[in-house]
Amino acid sequence: MADQDHSVGTIPQRPLGRADAKVSALGMGGHHLGDLTTVDDAIRLVHEAVDAGITFFDNCWEYWNGRAEDWLGRGLKGRRDKVFLMTKVCTHGRSAKLAMKMLEESLTRLQTDHLDLWQVHGVCFDNDPELAYAEGGVLEALDQAKKQGKTRFVGFTGHKDPAIHLDMIRRGYPFDSVQMPLNCLDATFRSFEKRILPEVNKRGIAALGMKPMGGTATAVKSGLVKAEEMLRYAMSLPVAVTIAGMDSFDVLRQNLGVARDFRPMTAEEMQALRDRCAGEAGDGRHEPYKLSLQFDNPQARWAHGFPLDIMQKEVKEMLFLEAGGP
Amino acid sequence: MNDPRDHAASHGPDRRDFLQSAGLTAAALSLSGSLLRAEGTTRLELSNTGPDRIPHKPFGKTRETVSVIGIGGYSLGSAPSLEEAVAIVHEAVDAGVTFFDNAWEYHDGKSEEWMGQALKGRRDKVFLMTKVCTHGRDKKVAMKMLEESLTRLQTDHLDLWQVHECVYDNDPERHFAKGGVIEALDEAKKAGKVRYVGFTGHKDPAIHLKMLSHDYPFDSVQMPLNPFDATYRSFQTDVLPEVNKRGMAALGMKSLGGNGQPITKGVVTVEEALRYAMSLPVATTISGIDSLAVLRQNLAIARGFKPMTAEEMEALNRRCTRDAGDGHLELYKSTMKYDGDLGRGQHGLPSHKDLPL
Repeated sequence: MADQDHSVGTIPQRPLGRADAKVSALGMGGHHLGDLTTVDDAIRLVHEAVDAGITFFDNCWEYWNGRAEDWLGRGLKGRRDKVFLMTKVCTHGRSAKLAMKMLEESLTRLQTDHLDLWQVHGVCFDNDPELAYAEGGVLEALDQAKKQGKTRFVGFTGHKDPAIHLDMIRRGYPFDSVQMPLNCLDATFRSFEKRILPEVNKRGIAALGMKPMGGTATAVKSGLVKAEEMLRYAMSLPVAVTIAGMDSFDVLRQNLGVARDFRPMTAEEMQALRDRCAGEAGDGRHEPYKLSLQFDNPQARWAHGFPLDIMQKEVKEMLFLEAGGP
Repeated sequence: MNDPRDHAASHGPDRRDFLQSAGLTAAALSLSGSLLRAEGTTRLELSNTGPDRIPHKPFGKTRETVSVIGIGGYSLGSAPSLEEAVAIVHEAVDAGVTFFDNAWEYHDGKSEEWMGQALKGRRDKVFLMTKVCTHGRDKKVAMKMLEESLTRLQTDHLDLWQVHECVYDNDPERHFAKGGVIEALDEAKKAGKVRYVGFTGHKDPAIHLKMLSHDYPFDSVQMPLNPFDATYRSFQTDVLPEVNKRGMAALGMKSLGGNGQPITKGVVTVEEALRYAMSLPVATTISGIDSLAVLRQNLAIARGFKPMTAEEMEALNRRCTRDAGDGHLELYKSTMKYDGDLGRGQHGLPSHKDLPL
C-alpha cells in the first residue's frame, strides 16, 4: 500500500444491490457540500469529484434549507448523465402529497427531470415506520414517483437505532436501498453492522454506508483511530457505497487517496480495529447521533413535536437560510 | 405465552386520518398486554387509608411501608429559597409523606443540604433515600460520596441508597466490575450505614434488565412510570413485572413526563397522570415538587387515594397512545436532555452546554 500512487487510479464501481445499476464505492455527502464558503467552491469541488470518478452523489430536500441541492444542481450542470444522483424526502410522518411537492422542489433545485435514487429521510423515531406505512403515507409517494419515471430507485435512511431500521424493513416494502451509519465504532454500540447489514444483503437490497468517521469524528480527534483507517474500514464492509462528508478540497483528496484502486482490509485488520475501539465505543460517546436529539433534523423534530433549539446551527439553517445564496 | 400483540384487534384504532391514528396500532397492541400483566402482578395493598390520609404501600417484600407519594430531591433544590424548601418538607411530613428522594449530585449538593436541614428533628418519621453517583468509578469514590451524603443529610444512616442514573449501555458492566459500586452497596449495608440498596435510571428498559440480570439482591428499582411510558420503550411492560416477581420494591418517577409537557399540551391532567402512576404496582411515586403550591396540589390527589380501575387505566392509556409513540413526551428516554453532566463526563460525552438535547 505504501508505495501506491494515490493521485491516479480508478475508484471501484460496485453493484447497487440487485438493482441494474453501479455506483462508485465512495460517494459525496450532500450536507457538507453546504459547508463550502461559496457556490463557486462547491461547483469546483463537485467537478473535481466527478473527474476523479465519483459517481454517487447524496443530498436531501432539507439540507441547508435547499441550498445543498441547489449547489449540487449547479455543480452537475452538463455532468448529470455521468452520475448516480440521490436525494431524500423529508415528510417525517407526514403525507404522500407533501412528499410529491418536495420531489418537485428537489428536481427543480437539482436541475434534472429524474433522480436515480429517492430515499425517505431520517427514519429515527420509534413510530416512523408505522407513519411511513400508513395509508396516504410517504411510501405511496415512492411508488408514484417510480411510476412517473421521476426516480429509478427508492430507499430509506436513518442514523438512530437498528431496531427502527429492522421495523422499517420487515414491514415488507421493496426498498432498493437502505442507508445507515457504518464505521468501526458502530460495530460495538447499537450496531447497524451486526443487525442491519446482513439483513439488507440477504434481501438483495443495496446497503449505503454513512458516517464513516462517526459523524463528528471525535475518535479521530482524540487519536483513537486515523481518518484513513476509518474510511478504509467502512469501505471494506459489504456496502454499495460509503457516503462521506467532504467540506473541503483537502478532505476530498484525502478520501480519493483511500478510494483509488481501493484495497479492502482483511478480516483480521477489521477485527483488530474493532477491538481497539471497543473500550471507548461501548457507551456511544463517539456516535452521538445514536444518543442525542441534536443530530435529528429540524424538520423531523418539528413534525414530531420535539423541541427546537433556536441557537443550533441546523435549526438556523432550516428557519432562516435563503436557498441559492450567497 | 400470550403475545401482547394478539389483543390488538379488539381495540380497533380509528384510521380515518393516518396522521392522527398512526402510532395507535403498535401502541394499542402493547397496551392491552402491559395492562394485563400489570394486573396479573399484584395490586399492592394500601394501608393507612382514610379520607384525610396519605395511604402507604409495602416496600417490596419487606414488612415496611412507605407513602404512595414521595418528595423528589432534585426539584426540592429548585425551590425559590431554603425557607420554601423547608416549608415543603415540613408540610409534607405533617401530611403523612414518608418517602424522601435525593442524589449526591443534585444541584452540587444543595438538594441534600436543604433536605438535611428540613428533616432536622423529623429524621425518624421518614424513609430517606439518596443516590450514589460514581457513573462507572470505583467503590472508593462511592464510599466517599456516602459520607458526604450522610453529612449533608445530617444523619448517620440512609434507609435506601441507590446507584444513580444507569442510562448508558455499558453502565451495568461498569457497576458490576470488580471493585465497582456494587461492592460499595454491600460494604455500606454491612457497616449499618444503609438499610436497603437499589438502582435508578430513566433511559431504556434494556439497561434496567441488564442490571437485573446479574441477580444482585437489590431491594428497590426506580424507573419512569406514567401513562406515556406504557406505549414507548415501556418500563411498565418490560421491567415492572420483573421487579415485582423478584420481590423488589418498584419506585416510580416522572409521572408527568419529566417536564409536565403532557399537561401543558393538554394530553392529560395532573390528577390523571399522578393517579395512574400511583395505581401501578409500585411502592411509591416520586414526585418533583418545587413549591408549596405544587405540594398542595399533589397532596390533594394523594389524600384518600383510591387506585384507578383497570378500565380507567386502559382508557387513559389509549388516549395517550397517539402522542406517546415517538417519545417526544418522554425526553429522558428519547434525548440526552436528562443525562447529567457528571455522568456524561465519565462517559466522555459533551456537557449540556455543548449538547443540550
